[in-house]
Amino acid sequence: MASISAELQEQAASGITASEIMVTAAAHEVRDGETAVVGIGLPQVACVLARQTHAPRLSMLLEIGVADMSPVDIAVGLADSRIFYRATCWSGFLDTLGMNLHRGVVDVGFIGGLEVDRFGNVNTTLTKDADGKEHYFNGSAGGNDVASLANRVVVIVRHGKRKLPDAVAYLTSPGFVNGRSRRDLGLRGGGPHRVITDMAVLGFDNPSRTASLVSMHPGITVEQLLDNTGFPLEIPNPVPMTPLPSKEELRLLREEIDPGKMYLR
Amino acid sequence: MPDKVKSVAEVVRSIPDGSHIALGGFAIARNAIVFAHEVIRQQKKTLTLSQGVMGMETDLLVGAGLVSKIIVGGGSLDRFGPVRCINRARDNGAIVHIDSSSLSLAFGYLAGALGISFIPIKSLLASEMMERLETAAPDYLRRGKCPFTGEDFVFLRGITPDVSVVHVPIADSNGNCWIHGPRWENEEQAKAGKRLIVVTEELVPTEYIQREPERTVIPGHRVEAVIHQPFGAHPTSVFGCYDYDAEHLKLYAECHKTPERMNQYLQDYVFGPRDHWEYLEKVGGLRRMNEIKAEAIFGY
Repeated sequence: MASISAELQEQAASGITASEIMVTAAAHEVRDGETAVVGIGLPQVACVLARQTHAPRLSMLLEIGVADMSPVDIAVGLADSRIFYRATCWSGFLDTLGMNLHRGVVDVGFIGGLEVDRFGNVNTTLTKDADGKEHYFNGSAGGNDVASLANRVVVIVRHGKRKLPDAVAYLTSPGFVNGRSRRDLGLRGGGPHRVITDMAVLGFDNPSRTASLVSMHPGITVEQLLDNTGFPLEIPNPVPMTPLPSKEELRLLREEIDPGKMYLR
Repeated sequence: MPDKVKSVAEVVRSIPDGSHIALGGFAIARNAIVFAHEVIRQQKKTLTLSQGVMGMETDLLVGAGLVSKIIVGGGSLDRFGPVRCINRARDNGAIVHIDSSSLSLAFGYLAGALGISFIPIKSLLASEMMERLETAAPDYLRRGKCPFTGEDFVFLRGITPDVSVVHVPIADSNGNCWIHGPRWENEEQAKAGKRLIVVTEELVPTEYIQREPERTVIPGHRVEAVIHQPFGAHPTSVFGCYDYDAEHLKLYAECHKTPERMNQYLQDYVFGPRDHWEYLEKVGGLRRMNEIKAEAIFGY
């Protein structure tokens, strides 16, 4: 993706990066007063940005058992004590994933993954060689729980043909499996709402329950987008553009939220 | 009150081969490393391990070739990389692996802790984990319906490990435990175990516990043995006590990339040292431990 970032930087006078557009688009997916289950990295940066702009009453839960933390140091992961700092509650899976997520009170769940396919199914479990040999990765952890149970699921991944295949190599976390409705699948959560990449925002608001283009990031061409997507993508005409981060959003991201560019590379 | 403080060697000697051990770590936090090292030294074999989110302790035991089955939700070493020994064992078919999700493990342990044989959950439906486990592990989960509403559920078998091992920052000699910071599935996991062993960083007088008993997450009457080992989770972190040791985790993350280097790591850091005190000397001693010691306000 380096070439795309470079191109973006060339085109945007303010030097806005693909990561910054991506994380701002993710922040715009949460509303004030909502409860979100987040992971470390871009989802957390997005939620902190939302909280410091349009959603000051956003509640953030980490599966490990942390609510509404205000860390001052960048964490390397969910098990890093840096992310526990100044939380308002320390609990565990049964609270965060159980009595909140499973109970049905989590509005938005953010997940990442190795792959996301055209039905919004996510793979975090394994990759397959051409001969079918499986290579295991991290697995679900709370990913399947979030995808199964959150009212809206937002998937954040880098764009690429292998990251967005027609069908995932392993279905860890269900979206609209084979285009079926969530009710038909027996699932309570609303399913995938957005896939946010460094090239575009995809959505599922169509009868076939397949990913379609919501908006394309400035600096990306339709050709690039289609070349980097492993499934057919309907492109509306005119092509909607993802809003660029505002001056204030950029200032917060660069000066306050991730000045060391740990996540916003 | 009974004094349950025992050496790790004595405790591990009492665990038979083939046991199901639930481990209380999460990625690179509060792993019972001192316990895992001793299990490796004593070469306990054909173990089943269960855990919500696996970390270094499980990777060590699988890397040492002592594990035949894992029941897990997921796992990694956070940004230090994947749990490569475990992933290699899954790739090669060297272990049976029951992969589900974090909440599935917490629910399974909760059922075990409550003494009920199964528990319904709305996770896993329509996933490949479900599809594979339905045929490969019908003793672990099945599809079912609510008898009142007819809603679809996954019925998870209650999990009752032979031994649960949880690493805590503070305990008294009777096994009353406090956990500072988040505690993932530790409470249910501890109480689901047929036997419960705790490893504590600090051993405090019972009177200290009695001052704030609302902080007790694991009550002593359930605990069989208390292992007292400062820096017993190194190189993973114990919130309020010390940070993870990034230098050592980087070293480990290099070593576990190949079985040969993993074996060398085990020789150097597990079989080499006689006990955890010698291990701590080998990984930098008092100077290094002081460097990773938690700062009072931040807890890391």
